[in-house]
Amino acid sequence: MHLPPWFWQCAVVLVAWGIVGLLQKLSTNHLSAESALVWLVVGFFLIDPLLYPKESVLAYSSRSLAWAFLSAFLNALGAWALLAAMKHGGKASIVVPLTALYPLAMVFLAPVILHESVTRPQALGVACALVAVVLLST
Amino acid sequence: MSLPAALKAKWFWYSILCIVCWGGWTLFGKLGSAEISAPTMQFLFPFGCIPIALAMLWARRFKLEKSPRGIFYGVANGVLSGIGGLALFAAYRTQGNAAVITAATAMYPLITVVLAVTILRERLTWIHVVGLGFAGVAFVLFSI
Repeated sequence: MHLPPWFWQCAVVLVAWGIVGLLQKLSTNHLSAESALVWLVVGFFLIDPLLYPKESVLAYSSRSLAWAFLSAFLNALGAWALLAAMKHGGKASIVVPLTALYPLAMVFLAPVILHESVTRPQALGVACALVAVVLLST
Repeated sequence: MSLPAALKAKWFWYSILCIVCWGGWTLFGKLGSAEISAPTMQFLFPFGCIPIALAMLWARRFKLEKSPRGIFYGVANGVLSGIGGLALFAAYRTQGNAAVITAATAMYPLITVVLAVTILRERLTWIHVVGLGFAGVAFVLFSI
């Protein structure tokens, strides 16, 4: 079996965010959704000293910096929307699988915006992954 | 709940907003990481979250609960989310297919389910078992 070059990075994401799923549940047992989001951002800042860039971030193009900030802003806005959905009567068993379908946007936009092509086995893998997300979140 | 009823519910549209936002998060994350290194992308990440965090603080009139356990879980949540985000940006920089990487990493409930069973002693339903099977098939297909 040939492991793709991104395999181990994905494994780290799965383990880290898999534990996050548990911590989200535990944190909201003690805190409001708004407070949990604030402490999440505090946690982001805690690891920032370890990631302090060697060169000035201003050396990067303003376009790439805008993508980076927009990416973070949308992540936080999406997290708030997820919590707001639950606050407005959405059941976790429905809201979580529904929102876990966010890769769909990338699947449809990547060929258009990033000019990427997906092989047939990869397309089948994406479909299986999305079905797995829905089933595991139920 | 029927589909027409769901379409009138606020939670449904908040969920759609979440999908759109997180779709944008992964897309712009991929675009940004084409030039910016993974550690720097993650270094910049919390700064982009500040406007939303300030809005949450304002919504709570700048008063947060003082549960030490809740704060610990919340901060740990941020640290691990950050480590996961760093690895995601690193995966995007391998020139791998963004759609495939995004779908593969979105299977994180796989680990949550396993942890919930082993730590929280929650029971695994047959739906979860089928989901684990689909996740395994997806991993095999990604490695072809």
